[in-house]
Amino acid sequence: MLLLTLRRLLSAIPVLFIVSLISFGLMRLIPGDPAAAIAGIAATPAQIEQLRRDLGLDEPLLLQLLHYYQGLLQGDFGKSLLLGKGVLAATMERLPVTIGLSLYALVLTLLVGVASGIIAALRQNTWVDQVAMMVAMLGISIPNFFLGLLMIIFFAVQLGWLPSGGYVPFLQDPLGWLRSTTMPAISLALLQAGLLARITRSGMLEVLRQDYVRTARAKGLPERQVILKHALANALIPIVTVVGIIISLLLSGAVVTEALFSLPGMGQLLTQAVLSRDYPMVQGGLLLVTTFLVLVNILVDVLYALIDPRVRYE
Amino acid sequence: MKRLILSMGLVAVAMALSATPLMATPFTCPTRGGDLVFGQEANVNSLDQMTSSTISTRNIAMNIYETLITRDENNKPIPELAESMQEAPDGMSYTFKLRQGITFHNGKALTSADVAASFDRYNRIGLQRSTLDNVAGWETPDAQTFIIRMKQVQPTFIEALSSFSVPIVIIPAEHKDDQRQQLRPVGTGPFRLLEFVPGSHARLGRFDAYKPNPAFEQRTGFGGYRVACLDTVTFRIVTEASARVAGLETGALHVVEDVPTRSLEGLRRNSAITILPLQNWWIQIALPNTALAPTDNLAFRRAVQAALNVEDIMDAATDNNYRLNVGFQYPNQPSYTDAGKETYNINNQQRARALLRESGYRNEPIIILTNRDYPPMYNAALVMEQQLKAIGINSSLRVVDWPTSVQMSQRVNSTEWHFFHSGWGTQPALGALATMQFLVSPGANYRPKDDKDDPDVKAAWDDMNNLRDPTARQEAFARMQRLVLERAYAFPFGSLTKVQAARANVKGFVPFRIPRFSNVWIER
Repeated sequence: MLLLTLRRLLSAIPVLFIVSLISFGLMRLIPGDPAAAIAGIAATPAQIEQLRRDLGLDEPLLLQLLHYYQGLLQGDFGKSLLLGKGVLAATMERLPVTIGLSLYALVLTLLVGVASGIIAALRQNTWVDQVAMMVAMLGISIPNFFLGLLMIIFFAVQLGWLPSGGYVPFLQDPLGWLRSTTMPAISLALLQAGLLARITRSGMLEVLRQDYVRTARAKGLPERQVILKHALANALIPIVTVVGIIISLLLSGAVVTEALFSLPGMGQLLTQAVLSRDYPMVQGGLLLVTTFLVLVNILVDVLYALIDPRVRYE
Repeated sequence: MKRLILSMGLVAVAMALSATPLMATPFTCPTRGGDLVFGQEANVNSLDQMTSSTISTRNIAMNIYETLITRDENNKPIPELAESMQEAPDGMSYTFKLRQGITFHNGKALTSADVAASFDRYNRIGLQRSTLDNVAGWETPDAQTFIIRMKQVQPTFIEALSSFSVPIVIIPAEHKDDQRQQLRPVGTGPFRLLEFVPGSHARLGRFDAYKPNPAFEQRTGFGGYRVACLDTVTFRIVTEASARVAGLETGALHVVEDVPTRSLEGLRRNSAITILPLQNWWIQIALPNTALAPTDNLAFRRAVQAALNVEDIMDAATDNNYRLNVGFQYPNQPSYTDAGKETYNINNQQRARALLRESGYRNEPIIILTNRDYPPMYNAALVMEQQLKAIGINSSLRVVDWPTSVQMSQRVNSTEWHFFHSGWGTQPALGALATMQFLVSPGANYRPKDDKDDPDVKAAWDDMNNLRDPTARQEAFARMQRLVLERAYAFPFGSLTKVQAARANVKGFVPFRIPRFSNVWIER
């Protein structure tokens, strides 16, 4: 297991190098003047030109690349053109918001998705199955932005139960955090829960037909034990694989959700960085997010091996 | 013209006198207390006012910081931290006497050393440090006196110094080495910074030791007699317009900027909400590329000018929230002139076609450069495209994002576009001088070949800057505006109204270039 983990970590290095090179090149290929974006619409051409010089944006491209990798090798991800502070510091400020939101959404996704998938499989072809799959389809079909707006109108404006936007840090006020992230988490989770429900249902149906499940029932084991210990354990394999993908989708979906609900997370930070041509922030932010996702997928691989003892990695 | 002379004279007198409290009663808060939440549309990344020209930074920073001199409600320079200002008879120095008893938010007393340090920092990294290009240096003969020495006479120096575009805010001397975008937010304003989370919110609290300016009795413009009635003001970043409206309706937000037109009808029916239109927010404008044929041809540009129906353009651009406006200043400004008005909103297709024939236009493709980041620019371009097609011009849009359109528009001798859509906001509000710099090199917006100015326009610009008599400078501005409009170097369509809204129990809030929260209270 240790060997597997080390091997995966080593193979991540070329991935990260390629991502860093692509992000550097792509940002400079995109047309647009970072100085104009950062200075804003109210700036005069003279102010924009001054800013361009101040930010070193008139340096040759190869020199910029050299400085970038020199910094990376020393653990310096550069300084955000927009914020004036280190990319790592800026990311660390915003990451907890996005991770917290994504975790909350993931918990909802797993609870709702897996539970409804199991119930639909156990009640196959009944009205329970039909309703569960219809709700799953609805979740997949409704864009999370639209769902978010609907929830704001209903839960915030009409009922006044939840705030329409803004973020309360968890450590400052856990209940406030829960209230400020519930609607965003639901709007993020519904799509993924729908997908997961369908995958869980398919996996469970496949497993429930197996001989060992019939044997378990024939032996007189309680139904709960048959389902949770024997059937679900085997149906988990495709579910675990999908969870890794779901985490990536939750992180990318957070971009839109954070903008709608005014949450100061990574999604909002990176979006603004791209629109403002904040090269260091995009490069460093992408690299950090990629590292995080690579680690998540390594974890998924490890979990895979733990869940299924038949899987061997030489 | 006479009004301009009188107003400038009044300013000079006011600033030359020592401040004495006026006989009328200055503003007092009808109620004190409460937390007001403002829904701001644009993200704010830094509160370093010296290195930022963004409106979002200014919105917050100018409630925290103050300057030596600033602008009043009618855009005239007024003293703020300066009690008085004397210009030397030869125009080569300006002596400022500081108001007594002013403290920073950290409790430190303001002295001329702080002013000097502020100017040092601005001169080192200020985004608009060209303001000080003509300054030889500054002195602090005593703790209450600050003297600026000039390299040469600059009659417009006080106008430049009082600009709110990238103002020289006064900071404690010990902060002068703070890096770009990292200025510690300690000022002398009526509010101090309590918390700032970039991308989320900034929270300001009343500065109890703040001393209102006794030379005034009410808030005016960026200065005047300012009192913090509220305990706290929270600027919450809400980029999504629907979310801002929802926040206002629920009361989570007390004031919001930029209400979309589609929401106005519903909000008007809500008795708990007051709609606050802010007129003359920006001038909607298109600029020609005179380095490229056929827009290098005067007859062609005049044909376009004659074809334009600016009412239709402004209606589409602003959802009917606009005013027709001749030229580059607004009627309420002392520098306003309608010179060149005969070129405005001609809307005569017959005349346009005749001019087009005269120009020898041969159906070359005409590219109108615009962007979707600012819907008024996009919508204005759409309508302009159709109006040009109607007179036989082969026009099409090139739609990119704002940073790309700026980059493309700034290339000298560009061959990629013929007309560029933009909005001039801060500069017209600052005055004629700030606005007309867009029309001279380097970077003249009408993109003359090799960035070489039209000599007549340049001559008028030089007069605007160098003539000592304010009346003569105003005449130079009128001359420059007439030249620019007659030669179709710019196509100003009109002024856009920015609609703001507030909860009905918020009193004293008057829309302005920034949301001002002094002299604002929440009625119980």
